[in-house]
Amino acid sequence: MGSLGVNIPATIVVVVSLVIGVVMVVVFRYTSDQKAIHVAKNRLKAHLLALKLFQDQIPVVLRSYGRIVVATGRYLRLAFRPLLLVIVPLIFLMVQFDRYLGSMPVAVGHPFLVKVRMDNPNALNEASLQLPDGLSSTAPAVHVPSENEVAWRVVGEKPGEYIVNVQVSDQAFAKLVVVGSSVSRLSPIRLRGKFWERLFVSGEPALTGNNPIVSIAVQYPERNIAFAGFEWNWIWLFFVVSLAAGFLFKGILGVEI
Amino acid sequence: MKWSETTSPAAHRRILACLAALGIVLLHPLRSHAYAGPGAGFAVLSSFWTLFVAFFYSVYAFFAWPFRQLFRLLRRRKAYGKAQIKRAIILGFDGMDPELTERFIAEGKLPNLAKLRDQGTFRKLQTTFPPISPVAWSTFMTGVNPGKHNIYDFLARDLSNYLPYLSSAEIKGPKRSWKVGKYTIPLGRARTKGMRRGTPFWHWLGEAGIFCSVIRVPVTFPPEKFSGVLLSGMCVPDLKGSQGTFCLCTTRVRGDKFREGGVRVPIEQNGSSCSSYVPGPENPLTPGSGDELRVNFEIRLVNTNQARFTVDSQSFTLKVGAYSEWIPVKFRAGVGFRAHGICRFYLKELSPEVEVYVTPVNIDPGRPDLPISHPVTYSIYLAKLFGPYATLGLAEDTWALNEEVLDDQAFLAQCYANHDDRERMLFDALEKTQRGLCACVFDTTDRVQHMFWRYLDKDHPAARDVPRDQRPEVIQELYCRMDKLIGRVLEQVDDKTLLMVVSDHGFKSFARCVNLNAWLHQNGYLALKSGKTESGDWFDDVDWSRTRAYTMGLNGLYLNLKGREREGIIEPGANAEALKDELRRKLDGLVDPASSRAGITGVFDCDSVYAGPYVDNAPDLIVGYGDGFRASWDSVMGKVTSQVFEDNLKAWSGDHCIDPRLVPGVLFCNRKISDEKPAIVDVAPTVLKLFGLELPGHLDGKPWTVGASTAP
Repeated sequence: MGSLGVNIPATIVVVVSLVIGVVMVVVFRYTSDQKAIHVAKNRLKAHLLALKLFQDQIPVVLRSYGRIVVATGRYLRLAFRPLLLVIVPLIFLMVQFDRYLGSMPVAVGHPFLVKVRMDNPNALNEASLQLPDGLSSTAPAVHVPSENEVAWRVVGEKPGEYIVNVQVSDQAFAKLVVVGSSVSRLSPIRLRGKFWERLFVSGEPALTGNNPIVSIAVQYPERNIAFAGFEWNWIWLFFVVSLAAGFLFKGILGVEI
Repeated sequence: MKWSETTSPAAHRRILACLAALGIVLLHPLRSHAYAGPGAGFAVLSSFWTLFVAFFYSVYAFFAWPFRQLFRLLRRRKAYGKAQIKRAIILGFDGMDPELTERFIAEGKLPNLAKLRDQGTFRKLQTTFPPISPVAWSTFMTGVNPGKHNIYDFLARDLSNYLPYLSSAEIKGPKRSWKVGKYTIPLGRARTKGMRRGTPFWHWLGEAGIFCSVIRVPVTFPPEKFSGVLLSGMCVPDLKGSQGTFCLCTTRVRGDKFREGGVRVPIEQNGSSCSSYVPGPENPLTPGSGDELRVNFEIRLVNTNQARFTVDSQSFTLKVGAYSEWIPVKFRAGVGFRAHGICRFYLKELSPEVEVYVTPVNIDPGRPDLPISHPVTYSIYLAKLFGPYATLGLAEDTWALNEEVLDDQAFLAQCYANHDDRERMLFDALEKTQRGLCACVFDTTDRVQHMFWRYLDKDHPAARDVPRDQRPEVIQELYCRMDKLIGRVLEQVDDKTLLMVVSDHGFKSFARCVNLNAWLHQNGYLALKSGKTESGDWFDDVDWSRTRAYTMGLNGLYLNLKGREREGIIEPGANAEALKDELRRKLDGLVDPASSRAGITGVFDCDSVYAGPYVDNAPDLIVGYGDGFRASWDSVMGKVTSQVFEDNLKAWSGDHCIDPRLVPGVLFCNRKISDEKPAIVDVAPTVLKLFGLELPGHLDGKPWTVGASTAP
């Protein structure tokens, strides 16, 4: 909640959903074959009505059902063509929103894990964690050789953005940790290489140099957004609100979806 | 040309990068990929919903079918138990003339009808008194004479004021309304009431569990409930409630009104753009005020031959001499009060003046404000399947051609566009009705013959200036087209199917007009007010206190009967009978002095041609005009002129509202029919008998003896 009692994450999601809903409707309008979609939808409705109108005639009912399947395929093909044009920018946009709204910063006083994965189990003993002021370790490091992983339990003492350093041999590798309750850009993992994975899940630069660390991860809790009496994952709230916005504006803008 | 030849290496790289990104995005399963915008959401949701509903209905229909059959048996509905046929297909070609048909068959132009004739039956089909479509088709569907179905003409007269009203249906405002200041808020929909009596034979079939698809049979508005589907035909009004009011939007300044069926609307020109409007129905919030609703439209001149139209936020481009598609228009009276219509625009001219013809605004079949089908969803189903289509009863705008707003080609284009829609509907109905009745009436035959007979008649006054060798063979082409349609239907006919091709009447030339009111006036039967030598429309200047007889509509002659008409003066009984006899004697054989031919070849007493509970509503005499004659345009509208006979100079040059003996219809059948003089009244009992049903006792028609299958 904000200082004025405003549910900031919910507000962001609703506003973003409305805007994207409207923009997508407009984009859909100009990237789709509106006439073909209109005809395909009408045919679909006609075959549905045929089921009711000629319900006493089984051959007609069965034929109509077959035509509904075909018409649905045609409609989906027409509807997905514009989708293919916008899916790339939209996915990247949503990845960015997911950074802010998908997870919450770790809460003050709540322990969380910092996990480092190495490329060989022998390097696990070389890794140490250096914490800044405001963060403290609550337990010794736990080594999981089968996973090539070492984990530290850490707790944040006050809100803020912290850089933790993982020391391996004479090299230090930084990882951002956010403590508090505000909406912040969170990167749950820092990766070595793996360009595409980094693009979708990490918000930090790649781990560089010749080092044994594969990834440094911080376990942020998932964010649930309170809206309309329910707890929502942001993607579901986005789905519902943007759908509602699209439904509302498709009529106003005269767009056939 | 190869792709690689048209794109640069850089473009290649960009395209490949995009495809790679797309591929990774699609193949990389992450949470955020689950949803990609409302378009996808709608598509996926609605598709699954559609499939779910469809699946549910299919399963329901499949499992409920045996129970429905059982239910029928329990109600003694033994469909097809004694049926001689599995399916009856009746193709109605309004006005198809037997003599013309025979002529074209003899010339080898109608091979499919020739095949039907040779392997099955061809007869002249006796029509009704009078031979007018609403009368004849009412008899066709009910199997009774007009005295039992109450339709005697397009128009009937109001006995309280001698004014006409539509004989087949009545449209009233909603039952209840709420008065708020000067506004009246309608609480409910407009009400429709059918005036045709008698029961169409498809009701009996439906009750017996035989499915029926009935398309555009005249006088089926408002549609009645029965077990089947029906799309109403002739007599369906336009959105204004009229039988078709076209609109000519023009920059030409002319004050005169159209005599029939249209209004002139000014176009405001401002540089290269113009604006005008389509007049719509009366504002339902201010009934009786004459305040009409309008839909504005704009025209932007693209070049000398093309213009861009914007109507109700829809835009389209038209060339001069071209029609638009059906354009949906919404007439808004206020929040929540809308009338939905469709119309087509025809760009007549852009230079020097701008003229646009707009068809009558038809009831939108996809959102019908009045019921035009049974069930209501049937018209919606057809609109969804084939797109918007003409719903107006008289959809082919004969008035616009008569008033020279449309030329021959534009009229024909309109006719055949409507006809093509009906053909699509017919073939869909045939596919859906593999067992049962499929009846479809095409009006193109009637409209085209009405408007183009002038080219067939060598001496027609409306075509005297067209050299014979330049006269188009429109009617011959029409018959050939219908023959091809029959050929395609024949491909779907098996030995268990009965195919009948029927027409309600034939056709003759309409070269000379007879103003019977003028004759009645000149012979002392109809009196005008003092000082008047003529009367305006609807007996404006008639002195009823001295009038003994009058005519309105196409064939009816009425006595001004005391106790019946508001100002009747003829005593019923012997006096009335004597007057009828006198009129019959004088009118029968009435000669046109200009041609020395009989303008009237028969006058029929209603008591001798009608029987039934509604005979009192019938005209007292039915006038049978001779070949080449018909009631004049003025006489039909209750106008009294000084001339009894005059030339018909209108494009409407062929007609059938004459002596019924001169204009029988056609009957073709794929089976042998032994009866030599079949009549249209026999169709209903014949079909009922072929499906093995008991004939209701009140039917006037007699079933024909139909032989076994001789399917061509």
